[in-house]
Amino acid sequence: MTTNIEEARKQILAMVREFVDRDVRPAAAQHDEDDTYPTALVDQMAEMGLFGITIPEEYGGLGLDHSTYAMVFEELSRGWLSITGPIGTHSILAHALAHHGTEDQKRRWLPGMATGEHRAGLALSEPGGGSDVASLQTTAVKDGEEYVVNGNKLFITNGREGNIFFLLAKTDTTIEPQHRGISGFIAEKGPGFTAGKDLNKLGYRGVDTTELIFNDYRVGTDNLIGGEEGKGFYQAMDALETGRVNIAARAVGVAQAAFDDALAYSLQREAFGELISERQGIQFMLAEMATKIQAARLLTYDAASKKDSGDRFDLEAGMAKLYASEICAEVTLDAMRVHGGVGYIKDLPLERYYRDAPLMIIGEGTNEMQKLIIARNLLKRARAKG
Amino acid sequence: MKQVPDPDTPPSAFHVDESANRVVPPPGTPPVVNGFDLNATEAALLLKDAAGGTDVEITIIAVGSEFVMDVVKRPLSMGADELVLVDDPALENLDAFATARVLAKTIEAQGPFDVVLCGRQASDWDNGHVPLVLSELLGFPCISFARNIKVTDSGVRVERSLTDGYQVVDSPLPAVITVTNELGEPRYPTLRGIMAATRKTPTTLSLNDIGVTDGDVAASLELTRLFVPESERRVEIIGGDDEVDAGRQLALRLREENLI
Repeated sequence: MTTNIEEARKQILAMVREFVDRDVRPAAAQHDEDDTYPTALVDQMAEMGLFGITIPEEYGGLGLDHSTYAMVFEELSRGWLSITGPIGTHSILAHALAHHGTEDQKRRWLPGMATGEHRAGLALSEPGGGSDVASLQTTAVKDGEEYVVNGNKLFITNGREGNIFFLLAKTDTTIEPQHRGISGFIAEKGPGFTAGKDLNKLGYRGVDTTELIFNDYRVGTDNLIGGEEGKGFYQAMDALETGRVNIAARAVGVAQAAFDDALAYSLQREAFGELISERQGIQFMLAEMATKIQAARLLTYDAASKKDSGDRFDLEAGMAKLYASEICAEVTLDAMRVHGGVGYIKDLPLERYYRDAPLMIIGEGTNEMQKLIIARNLLKRARAKG
Repeated sequence: MKQVPDPDTPPSAFHVDESANRVVPPPGTPPVVNGFDLNATEAALLLKDAAGGTDVEITIIAVGSEFVMDVVKRPLSMGADELVLVDDPALENLDAFATARVLAKTIEAQGPFDVVLCGRQASDWDNGHVPLVLSELLGFPCISFARNIKVTDSGVRVERSLTDGYQVVDSPLPAVITVTNELGEPRYPTLRGIMAATRKTPTTLSLNDIGVTDGDVAASLELTRLFVPESERRVEIIGGDDEVDAGRQLALRLREENLI
């Protein structure tokens, strides 16, 4: 079977590469400039089956491993970071459902999510905070067979285009520690649940990031993930580990795109009578960029393969996310240095890579949070050894 | 279907071995399925779609050697039903006639069929001979450069791409049809199709299995010399009394060289 997975992975990556080169790259600049949702591209991804990559086969997905998923994300991001947006947080709800949902919830939601009919988002961050999940303010008060939800969520990818959301809300506001009062729900758009206006972002444009407003929104008790209150924090943290690997993979993809452009440009641009690729200053930059990208890629694949083998991987996911996102910002800037003035002009995609890069530093837990996670894990291991 | 060197490889990366009369592709570049053959696969899938997906079985046949499995399974990932590979070192460098003879025997060994779809030509040599010879050997009509194929009560109606338009041809079945890129972009494989394809094992046939003789694979063409032509660039500035006259002079000069 190993051979089959390898063979399937090769074919899948070849298909995604072709899609990226033929359809994504030519369309990205205009969508980025106009901040318009790439409906045709997203529909094409749904048709290919990319919404169901990690959803188990018995629920209509492909049941592929996280390593393949990370490689697909890397490849898509090489074309355009934003195109990963509709699938990213979608997969986080899918992960939470597949691992923590009741059988009935899996049967009810996962097949539609695998085809892309249900498009999901993650309703976690709030105006008051993102990384500090435990202190979230949104509440869900039980009323018979329903919960009544009130509160606001902010920076929600797929907020407008998505139709179901992984909603985290407090069902108990008095319990200590606070995170034990958080429950996870599957929230469908409906009366009392609306998306606010699209946020105008520096990068990661074209994909909708909005506020979500819950105003006496009623959600059934059968939408409580796992059928148990107080588990939302754990369900989210577990799924977000995979999210960090995805962010790392995206960073590798964007950095690779910038490097590819820089390398190609250095082989055609002449200055002082020779190609700039012949100059040591440029060569040093190219060497450093390529080395950083490869290191980030290996960290990412290592974290993904830890996940696939069933080990804890929060340390590895944190390291991959931290390193890949930092070098992505460095590489996109260095690629601009190689290009000189022309790299600063909007006619080339380089300035987009440069604007997209900071998302990976800030999103899915800021890099400062990653450092805390990494350090805590290291200290915990050291203490355990005595 | 033919496995070919990736046509996106820059020509300068290929090496011509003049002593062996061979083109050597750069090492380490994976082959691809010939692009027109993917158009032919798309044509087959469109016929299957038009028939409601039932009662149509698509068999992909390739003859050659050193097949790369994740490459040649591509048509299966797109939705074809079966893959038959005739794999033998003797098939590495066949000419069009020998290829057509092996293909004809392979096709006949598969049992009855309605239509044989081929890419209009292969991107390695761009000859486009195999389908024509194949139709002769099978004894069926050949319709080339199809951009649209519809099954009718009496056979098929095919739109053939021409340089200045298109021609509509009715033909009985069975027939050999060569497909051109004007048919439209081949569909992407789906992930589900890829997973299903990886679980399928192609039928691999030897030359003995289909009764191919030494005579069948003998060359009918002799390649006398293979070389990179030397090209020379000349520049000639065409002048004139004014821009209109310069244009006129240019047209005359181009006509003299039989370029227009």
